Amino acid sequence: MPRRFGAIGVVATLAVTLAACAPGDSGDGGGDAVNLKVWGWRQEDVAAYKKIFQIYEKAHPGVTVEYVPYKNTEYDTILKTGLTDANGPDVAQLRSYGLLQPLVGSGSLVPLDDQVDKLSGFPKPILDGAKGDKDGHVYGVPFAIQTLHVIYNKKIFADNGIDAPTTWADMIAGFDKLSKAGVTPLANTVTDKWMLPIEQEIFGATTYGGPDYLTKMLNGSAKFTDAPWVKSLETWKSTQKYWPAQASGVSYTDAQALFTSGRAAMFPGGVWELAGFKKANPQLDLGIFNAPPAPGASVDKTLVPGYVDGSFGVSAKSRHRDAALDLVRWMATKEFGTALSNELQQISPVPGVEPQDELLAQALKGYQANPSPYVTYAYFSGGTPTAWDLASEAFSDYVLDRSNAADAAAHIQRGVDQWFRPKN
Amino acid sequence: MSTTLRTVPRPAGKVRAEAARPRGTRQRSLLHSAGSQLLLWAYAAIAFGPLLLVLIGSLRPNAEILRAPVGLPSSFDLSNYTRAWQTASISTYFINSLTVTCASVALCVSVSAMAAYALARWKFPGRALLAALFLSGLMIPAKLGLLPVFYMFQSMGLIDSRIGLVLLYAASGIPFSVFVIMGFMRGLPGELEEAARIDGANEGRLFVSVILPLMRPALAVATVFQFAPTWNDFFYPLVLLRSGDKYTIPVGLTRFFGEFAADRGTLFAGLVIALVPLAVVFALATKQIVAGLTAGMSR
Amino acid sequence: MVPAQELTVRPARRSRRRAGRISAGWITSFCLPAFALYGLFLVVPLVTAFYYGLFRWDGTQQGEFVGIGNYREILTRYPLSDEIPAALGHNVLFFVGTMAIQNTIGLGLALLLHRNPWGKRLFQTLFSLPYLISPLIVGYIWSLLLSPTFGPINFALRAVGLDAWARPWLGEPDLALPVLILVNAWQWIGGPMLIFGAALAGIPQELEEAAAMDGASPTRTFWSIRFPLLIPAVGVITVLTFIGCFNIFDLVYALGGSDGGPGGAMDVLGLLYYRTAFRGGSNAIGESSALAMLIFVLIFGVSLALERTLRRREVH
Repeated sequence: MPRRFGAIGVVATLAVTLAACAPGDSGDGGGDAVNLKVWGWRQEDVAAYKKIFQIYEKAHPGVTVEYVPYKNTEYDTILKTGLTDANGPDVAQLRSYGLLQPLVGSGSLVPLDDQVDKLSGFPKPILDGAKGDKDGHVYGVPFAIQTLHVIYNKKIFADNGIDAPTTWADMIAGFDKLSKAGVTPLANTVTDKWMLPIEQEIFGATTYGGPDYLTKMLNGSAKFTDAPWVKSLETWKSTQKYWPAQASGVSYTDAQALFTSGRAAMFPGGVWELAGFKKANPQLDLGIFNAPPAPGASVDKTLVPGYVDGSFGVSAKSRHRDAALDLVRWMATKEFGTALSNELQQISPVPGVEPQDELLAQALKGYQANPSPYVTYAYFSGGTPTAWDLASEAFSDYVLDRSNAADAAAHIQRGVDQWFRPKN
Repeated sequence: MSTTLRTVPRPAGKVRAEAARPRGTRQRSLLHSAGSQLLLWAYAAIAFGPLLLVLIGSLRPNAEILRAPVGLPSSFDLSNYTRAWQTASISTYFINSLTVTCASVALCVSVSAMAAYALARWKFPGRALLAALFLSGLMIPAKLGLLPVFYMFQSMGLIDSRIGLVLLYAASGIPFSVFVIMGFMRGLPGELEEAARIDGANEGRLFVSVILPLMRPALAVATVFQFAPTWNDFFYPLVLLRSGDKYTIPVGLTRFFGEFAADRGTLFAGLVIALVPLAVVFALATKQIVAGLTAGMSR
Repeated sequence: MVPAQELTVRPARRSRRRAGRISAGWITSFCLPAFALYGLFLVVPLVTAFYYGLFRWDGTQQGEFVGIGNYREILTRYPLSDEIPAALGHNVLFFVGTMAIQNTIGLGLALLLHRNPWGKRLFQTLFSLPYLISPLIVGYIWSLLLSPTFGPINFALRAVGLDAWARPWLGEPDLALPVLILVNAWQWIGGPMLIFGAALAGIPQELEEAAAMDGASPTRTFWSIRFPLLIPAVGVITVLTFIGCFNIFDLVYALGGSDGGPGGAMDVLGLLYYRTAFRGGSNAIGESSALAMLIFVLIFGVSLALERTLRRREVH
């Protein structure tokens, strides 16, 4: 009998030891060599970041900067835990909008408003992605804008006598022509559900009307379940016959391979795909366009959906807070923006940085002229469940014909209604 | 030495009947075994086919794999392997995996053997409870404790430490090892121990020089069943390790997958590099596993 | 096969335990290392998870005590409230399917090998080989193999004119779970095969031969002689399969992503936990800990009950 109590005693003692875990100390480390760890989720960008940070290291002797990438899908949790101690990152790539909020809530990040002067030069919508919902402080220096397009293979278009379309009818005619020629028009994936809301924005944005509709949604006068948004799903799905054969089993990497190997003419996706496509097949001649207003669209111009991808923030537990702040200050400069734009083939949000790459310049110009939001990801992701998760699930059922557009919209609305409160 | 050929003393009355149909039986059993061989080879194709596709794919250029998913390499080309080996520091991952796995399996099996022996042989208050506690661990989905483990490691300074991983893996293998070894011990006659005790050996020496050698088949089973899951685990190192030079093979491979998602040839080469050593170890150990299992099952 | 039988000759069970008194010192030094490791790294985290689940969290910041609040939250919040029973149902189907397919084929292979010892070791090694590969990689390989566009399987089916068979395997809700069961069986078939094989080897040959000589058909020999002796092995395999099927995560994750495949047809409890813990919002720690406790109670309770009934069977 006494042994049994002994056993419980040991467990209890261990539990107590555990509860008494002390946080790491902060403050500045030794003055000489400083090694800053920058965490991120872009495993494919290690080499490019190395080059970019070399510029900084040269100008700041005694400081080394190391980019430490983690697996994209697990990054959020790893970061969440990593920010709780001093052995974690000094600077970290942060997700935007709703996905940033748990980190702000736990006080893991240093507010940057007063620390990084150049932030005041950034356009307000860009900073929205890096703000804490509750306190309105900015917690990161935005590093990239992502825009969504139809990426196309110029050679296939030329071979079939097609140009980038300016009307919806043109676009569909082009799709038909390609189908007849035995080329898959659109390399859509269905199995990787997170791509579905992206595809929906690309083809459906004009149907619901983009930014104007978002404003109404945010103030509570429009819903996912209202006609314009429901119809945007139908618009998107109307392109389904141009998707790959047996699209329901086509994964994201399959879709990419279909496009880069020339078996499909177009890939609806984000600008971030461009660099990867060129690497996979250097001979590829790429172009981008956006879907023109669909029949019955709420707007009569071609919209370019886009959003802030992420930002760089400073860990509150960093041992080298000053050095880390210096680094993010540099990240708000043109020097960093230009380097990032050139090395990573991304659109930098730093004011005044023009992408040298022709396609990126075209993407940015289009976005600046006729911007459209990525509604489910950017604006309805601040609570649980996020509209982004809900949309991914609902759209999967919808394209598999297990539900209709109204059901899909209702699924999202029902989930979001549990936490979303309209402003004003 | 097939079962049917073995001679056993037979009841006299049956002899004539037996002698009357030797040819038919022989033919049928030949047919039978040919049929069985066919089935076995067919399943071998299913079991090994996918691995063969990976192996062949690793020798083909990516463009060719995308054009024709099934096919032989047009030429013998190891460039996928050079690329995989150079980019992914597989040699580092490999050494880490080996160290962590061996250390944790050794630790796990030795502490389990001691506890299992005590629980199977000695009588003491709380014995049944302790045994139940260990065995119930079989049903604990250990992964559900990932977040608490993380915070505990943080407070103990075990984040980014291979020692932390070793302890964690050793602990998670204890229930199964205790289960196997205890079952084995229960089926083992106790005469040798009694004799050693009468000779005056103390419990420690008795365990090391008498019990451990007797336990060998059970230890082999515990080792092998612990080895592969530990070697393959991906989640703990992903969350608990920080620096790339401490990564184990599975985590290293996911990094590699991310980088080479589009390049299947190189991906396949990386997989082959990661799999071959384990396959060799396993092929060599099959005999021990089978012996251990047989001993364990026929108690 | 021989040493095993030597070991089975066992004396009366009771006599060997009368080994005289063992001092508390020895008992402690033999049991404590295993107990300490086990307690610290398996039991304590679970107890802690239970504790975490009683609080609201803001990121990694522990908030106020909410009691069963997190449990209520995950059981009532849409769509989680629908996903939990659905995932549980998939786990059950997965278990049933695995019992029916993996363990039956495993038994069949063990019987074949038992009757045809030629090349036994080679076959045993070949069949068990997939077990060595990380489930994550197994899933990855199979998703490449089963891809409708670049997958060799559909490519081969089309090449031999079976176009109608070349389906988007992992993309159709009705096919996804069966495919998962088959891939999982492909990986783990070695387990039941080896365990059944070991049990078959333990059956005294005289029994089988006597039956054969009585002119019993192989089928009858199997059901009347072998099967009853295999029941303990069936018990072990059932419990292990149950635990494996309800703990599954890596393979499903690799085959169908964290959302559980087409229309959530492959969503299982492990994935659900992963999503709440890794992709949840501010209160992810609280909610995922609560979910962890529910899953734990379920797996633990059922396997305990399963083990009990099987053991009772064995006694009869």
